[in-house]
Amino acid sequence: MSRLSVPCHVKGTVALQVGDVRTSQGRPGVLVIDVTFPSVAPFELQEIMFKNYYTAFLTIRVRQHTSTHTPAKWVTCLRDYCLMPDPHSEEGAQEYVSLFKHQSPSMTFPKWLSHPVPCEQPAPLLEGLPDPSRVSSEVQQMWALTEMIRASHTSTRIGRFDVDGCYDLNLLSYT
Amino acid sequence: MLQEESDLALIIAQIVQKLKGSNLYAQLERQAWASLQRPEIKLESLKEDIKEFFKISGWEKKLQNAVYSELSVFPLPSHPAAPPEHLKEPLVYMRKAQGSWEKRILKSLNSMCTELSIPLARKRPVGEQKELLNKWNEMGTDEPDLSLFRPVYAPKDFLEVLINLRNPNYENGDSHSFRTHLGLIQVPLKVKDIPELKEFFVELGLTAGQLGIDDSTQVPPELFENEHVRIGQKVLSEQDSAAAQQYIRQGSPTALRAELWALILNISSQPEDILYYEQLKTNVIQHDLLVDSLIYKDVKLTASNDDYYFVFEDYLYQVLLCFSRDTSVLGHFAYNSASPPKSYIRGKLGLEEYAVFYPPNGVIPFHGFSMYVAPLCFLYHEPSKLYQIFREMYVRFFFRLHSISSHPSGIVSLCLLFETLLQTYLPQLFYHLREIGAQPLRISFKWMVRAFSGYLATDQLLLLWDRILGYNSLEILAVLAAAVFAFRAVNLMEVTSLAAAEAVLADLSTLKVMPLLQIFLFATVT
Repeated sequence: MSRLSVPCHVKGTVALQVGDVRTSQGRPGVLVIDVTFPSVAPFELQEIMFKNYYTAFLTIRVRQHTSTHTPAKWVTCLRDYCLMPDPHSEEGAQEYVSLFKHQSPSMTFPKWLSHPVPCEQPAPLLEGLPDPSRVSSEVQQMWALTEMIRASHTSTRIGRFDVDGCYDLNLLSYT
Repeated sequence: MLQEESDLALIIAQIVQKLKGSNLYAQLERQAWASLQRPEIKLESLKEDIKEFFKISGWEKKLQNAVYSELSVFPLPSHPAAPPEHLKEPLVYMRKAQGSWEKRILKSLNSMCTELSIPLARKRPVGEQKELLNKWNEMGTDEPDLSLFRPVYAPKDFLEVLINLRNPNYENGDSHSFRTHLGLIQVPLKVKDIPELKEFFVELGLTAGQLGIDDSTQVPPELFENEHVRIGQKVLSEQDSAAAQQYIRQGSPTALRAELWALILNISSQPEDILYYEQLKTNVIQHDLLVDSLIYKDVKLTASNDDYYFVFEDYLYQVLLCFSRDTSVLGHFAYNSASPPKSYIRGKLGLEEYAVFYPPNGVIPFHGFSMYVAPLCFLYHEPSKLYQIFREMYVRFFFRLHSISSHPSGIVSLCLLFETLLQTYLPQLFYHLREIGAQPLRISFKWMVRAFSGYLATDQLLLLWDRILGYNSLEILAVLAAAVFAFRAVNLMEVTSLAAAEAVLADLSTLKVMPLLQIFLFATVT
């Protein structure tokens, strides 16, 4: 299954405010970010990946093309998805998040962007233990990931701290 | 593949990767080969028979313990897009603060070098090496002139840095709000409240037996102690780390403690471990580090002056000097917000092939560091075992007490937890102490940074550290600190100065830890 990242244009945030009055003290809690895909033909979206910065809840609305005859519709595919369990504390504030196709509830597959329904908390806790042989075969598929992990830190002890027997040091480096 | 399954597969892949480099893997391989001789191993069902053999011979249990150990120590793998520094510490402002703090330490160490004209590291001449080897077991008798050395920092310097931590995205109003006037810690980390703590520490409740309470002389041992000891012996004979960790939440019998801690920390003294320790000793003999003088000074100032620990002075030098040469400690920086200091071989500044870490283990000791080792000397008398236990305790727990991070067991969270508990459940006391200029955290900080070592009586300290191991968390330090204030609240309400408040809380050596914790968590009317 090959996946490609889709080039997108992320517009600046727009604050939603009630009425026309703009006050400097009023700080709205809702901001809207428009994401457009300027030069791409309609595609099937699998995953949205981003880094959070103090957003507590996320709602995603998508303009979907169903067929060439009907006009494109705006549908809500995720509503009030919780990114920060306690918005007044740091939990989840700067986390990396992936949202997958299967997480938004749908009536029919693959039309995942169907009806605006209340979003349930994703990924219920795993009940019981998974089947070992199935997991082990999946582990083999994940071997590419272990190569990545191996590259980022060594798991074997090196032991030597000197360079060719020499450990004459003057000062510590600041960089 | 669903998200949860791919997460699980990733965790498994990571643990397999880690264990593949370990002694256990080599041993399991050898055992598997050797088992082929056995009659019950048949070629047609080779995999199943070997797995069965591992189960019966106890090797599966050793593997389980190793996996459990990895799960306890390493954080779960985060999002694939997250860079390594995110694993160290997810909040950018905390990483920056830790970086600035480290830079200050490096500058301090560098200026000490320049002022005293002492190199960071040098190779010892052969004569000096022989001399050190001869007096390896009695380094305490040495009286080098350490008057010019000063500790790189003391806990109170670190506290000032924590007090000044700010989240740039957090604002509590233009004017000084009520909140900013209360405690010293100003960052909004999530900490548990008493109902959550009661759930987390459920085994410390009033209906469960505890060592430290239900083994006192007035209580007949048939009620709890005898049975608890019997269960402890069974846990040890089963050699199950997870069971030991659960068991020790109610305290460890003195006779079983050394073995239980070793089981929970997954430490077994193999010949390779003893050889490794000997290699570290050789490294100490060959190279002299500036950090050694800091260690000497620290031991002389703290442990040697302590009634309980001065007898272990020589052990402390051995363990701490070897610790600073141990490059395997560098592995913990993957999940520690701190980073090891860097240096270059003399004359090769800027050349990456001559870049090294200093000290080799990347940890610069501060004033009081030796107190992390001292209590362990009561349990372990064989130097390499004592060393292994200390190293594991450090890379699992103690490092969090002196680095800036958002982790629930990190010192920042512990400080906030302490202050929040005090403000919420003893508001009058908190307000009074603030009014007289005695912010409670200024008094309790040093207790938490040292995990109460040197402040409590040793038997009480060991009961406390039992629970640190049992719950795999340092939060109990903050709860105990609040419980101590609650216990002495009446006296504290009467004092009128910081000095008087400190005097009330100067001597904790008579305190009984478990009753204090139990009363504060489970028996205080809120």
